[in-house]
Amino acid sequence: MIKGYAGRILEVDLTQRTHRFVPLDEDVARLYIGGKGYGTRLLYDRTEAGVDPLGPGNVLIFATGPLNGSVAPQSNRFAVVCKSPLTGGIGNATCGGSFALGMKKAGIDLLVLTGSSDRPVRLDVDGDAGSVDFIDAGDLWGKGTYETQQILGKKKNHAVIGPAGENMVLYAGIVSNERIAGRTGVGAVMGSKRLKAISVTGKRKLEMEDPEAFRKYTKDVREMFKDHPVLGESMKRFGTGAIVNTTNGRNILPTRNFQRGSFDDAIKISGEYMEDHELKGVKTSCIHCPVTCGRDVEVEGVGRVKGPEYETLALLGSNLEIGNIKKVSEWNYLADDMGMDTISLGATLSFAMELQERGMYSAGLEFGDPAGVSEMIRDIAHRKGAGNDLADGTKRMAEKLGGSEFAMHVKGLELSAYDPRGSFAQGVEYATTNRGGCHVQGASMYMESTGPITINPQSLKLKAEIPIVQQNLACAINSMVLCIFTTYGMVPKAGHNLDPNSFLYKVITTVFENSGPMMRTMMSIKGRPMMWFEKWLTYITGENFSSGHLQEMGGRIFNLERMYNLREGVGPESDTLPHRILYEPTFKHMKSGHPLDQLLPRYYKNRGWDAGGVPTRRTLDKLQVSV
Amino acid sequence: MSVTVEFTYDMTKALGETRISLDGVGTVREVVAQVRDRFGAERGEEFERLTHTAAVAVNGVLVNHRRGMKTPLADGDKVSFVKSASGG
Repeated sequence: MIKGYAGRILEVDLTQRTHRFVPLDEDVARLYIGGKGYGTRLLYDRTEAGVDPLGPGNVLIFATGPLNGSVAPQSNRFAVVCKSPLTGGIGNATCGGSFALGMKKAGIDLLVLTGSSDRPVRLDVDGDAGSVDFIDAGDLWGKGTYETQQILGKKKNHAVIGPAGENMVLYAGIVSNERIAGRTGVGAVMGSKRLKAISVTGKRKLEMEDPEAFRKYTKDVREMFKDHPVLGESMKRFGTGAIVNTTNGRNILPTRNFQRGSFDDAIKISGEYMEDHELKGVKTSCIHCPVTCGRDVEVEGVGRVKGPEYETLALLGSNLEIGNIKKVSEWNYLADDMGMDTISLGATLSFAMELQERGMYSAGLEFGDPAGVSEMIRDIAHRKGAGNDLADGTKRMAEKLGGSEFAMHVKGLELSAYDPRGSFAQGVEYATTNRGGCHVQGASMYMESTGPITINPQSLKLKAEIPIVQQNLACAINSMVLCIFTTYGMVPKAGHNLDPNSFLYKVITTVFENSGPMMRTMMSIKGRPMMWFEKWLTYITGENFSSGHLQEMGGRIFNLERMYNLREGVGPESDTLPHRILYEPTFKHMKSGHPLDQLLPRYYKNRGWDAGGVPTRRTLDKLQVSV
Repeated sequence: MSVTVEFTYDMTKALGETRISLDGVGTVREVVAQVRDRFGAERGEEFERLTHTAAVAVNGVLVNHRRGMKTPLADGDKVSFVKSASGG
C-alpha cells in the first residue's frame, strides 16, 4: 500500500445494518489522490444515473487523503461526497474539526454509507477492533449539534447533524466540533438516511515514506507560516473577517441581496471590529493548525462559542443590511447548532426579504431589521411555516414564488460573498464550478480583487484562464485533504509589502495580466515538488508531486465531476450566473453586468471541451477519466 | 463637487471617522494630500505606515487600473483606502 493511506475503506449498509472493510484501490488513489477526488470516483461508479439524492440509493462518502492524520498545518480536514439534493449534481463539502484525524486513527481512508435506516441511528466505529455498532439514536434526534456532541463525549471523534439535517433542509451540513461541511446539502443526505452521528476511534499511526524529511520540513513550514502576513498575522488576529473591509472597498461585498457591492456599516461587521469589541479569550483552530482563524465570541444566553467567519458576516450581515455583529454571531451559532450552511441560509433569507419588499411573499422579514430572523432560522431547521419554503433554498423558492431574476444561485447553490461584477474570473469560476456558485473551489478572486497583487478584475484578460488553474489546484487540495487557506501562503511576504499604488506594482500586475499561455505552461510542468503541500505529499507517499502533477490530477477530478453532472442532467445550460449579476450594473462605469458570454467560450476551449461545454473524448483520454 | 472618502479600519481608529466628505478635489492625488493633512505633520509617519500597503480605489476600481494618482474625480465619487486581505 502507498504510504499515507490506511489502506482500507469501510462500507456500511444502513438498511441491512451490516458493514465490511475493503482494500483501498491503489490505482484509484494514484489517479484521484483521496478526499474529494477518490470520493467522486466512488460516487460515479456506485450510483445509478438519476438516483434520488434523498433516497436510499444515494451514497454518502466521508473521505480522507494522504495528508490527513499527519501534523502538517491545515491538514485535518475531511471531504463529504454525495449527489446533492440542492443542485441535483455533484455534492461535496469539506470540514475541519477532528473527524479526519479520527478516521485515519481508526485506519479508515473512506467511509461509504449506503441504504437508509428505518429509525434514527448512530454509528460507533472502532477501527482497531474492526467493529461497527448501530446504536439507536432516538434520544439524540431533535437535538442540536452542540448538545449532540456534548452527549457523545470527547473520547471519540464525531460527525453529526442537527435538526436541519434530520428534516432534510436542502442546505443542511455535517458538523465536527465547531466546524461544518456546509455546502450542497450533505447534511440532508445524512438525515435522509436517519443517521444522526458517526463516532470513530482507533490508535493507528500514519505511515510515511520519509518521516524524518517530513518532520524537518514541516518544522520549517511552521516557521514560515508564523512569519507570513496572512497565515501568521492577519488570519491569526482578525480571522477571515479581515476581508470585509476589503470587499467593501472593492465594491464586491454582497449588500441587500446583491443589489449593491458596498455597505455603509461594513466596518461594524469586520474582523478588526470583532477583534476590538467581541473577541473572547483564546482563538480556536482545527487540530495541528497554527493559523487559528477561528474566533470565539460571546452569545447572550449561550456563552462562548465560535464566532462568524467572512462568508457568514457578509451573507447574514451586509446582505441582509444588518450591521450588528452580535446579531450575526447569534445567527451563526444558531445555524451551526441547527446544522446548516450559513451561505445558503443568508442568501435565502435575503431572497425572502426582497420577495417581501416586492409584495410577492411574506415571511415577516425585512432588510435592515433583525426581528424574526432567529425564529426563522429555527423554523427553517424544523420546516415550520414559511421556514418550510426557505428550507428548499432560493432556486426552488423562485420556481414556486417567482423572482428568478434576483434568486442568487448557480446550479441551485447560493452564491458566496464575492460579487463577480467586480471580479470577473470569480464569475467564470462560479458559473463553471461543478457544485455550483461557490468560491472555495478555486478562489480566483484572490488574484484579481482581494489579494496583495491583483490584476484588473474587470478586464477580460486572464479571466478564462485563472479559474481553470485555480479549480484544478482546489480539486487537488480538497483531495489531499488540506485547507484551501494554505494557498494564501503562496504569495510571499515581499508581495504583501508592495505599495499597491506604485509603478512597480503596476508593472508586475500588467505582466501577470498578459501571461495567459505562459502561466498555464508554467503550472503544467511536471518537475520537482516546490510548494509545501507538494513536498508533504512527496515525503509521505514517496511519489513525486509537483505543480504539473497536481494540475493534471485536479483537472482529472474536475472533469470527472463534470461528467457526473452531465450524467445527472446538470448540463452546460447551467453554466451561468444569476440574471442580476449578468444584467444589473453595480459599478458607476458599467452599463451591464458580468460579461460571461464573452468568457465562457474561451474557458470551454482552454478546458479541452467542445463548444457546447462537453469534455471531448481526447480530453478525457488524456486525463485518464474513464466514464 | 463633493466626494466621499472611506478609510481602512486602522485609519478609522486613528482619525475617529469611518468616512468623510471632501469638497473641491479634482484628482485622487488631492484626496490623498487632504487626508495626509488630517493626520498632520506630527503624525506623518503614522499616515505613511497606515497607507503604505493600502490601495486607493475610486468607486471600487483601483486607481492603478486607471490613471493612478492622476485619476480624475466626479461629483459623488467614493474614494476608498483598501488593504488586501484573505477571506474564506
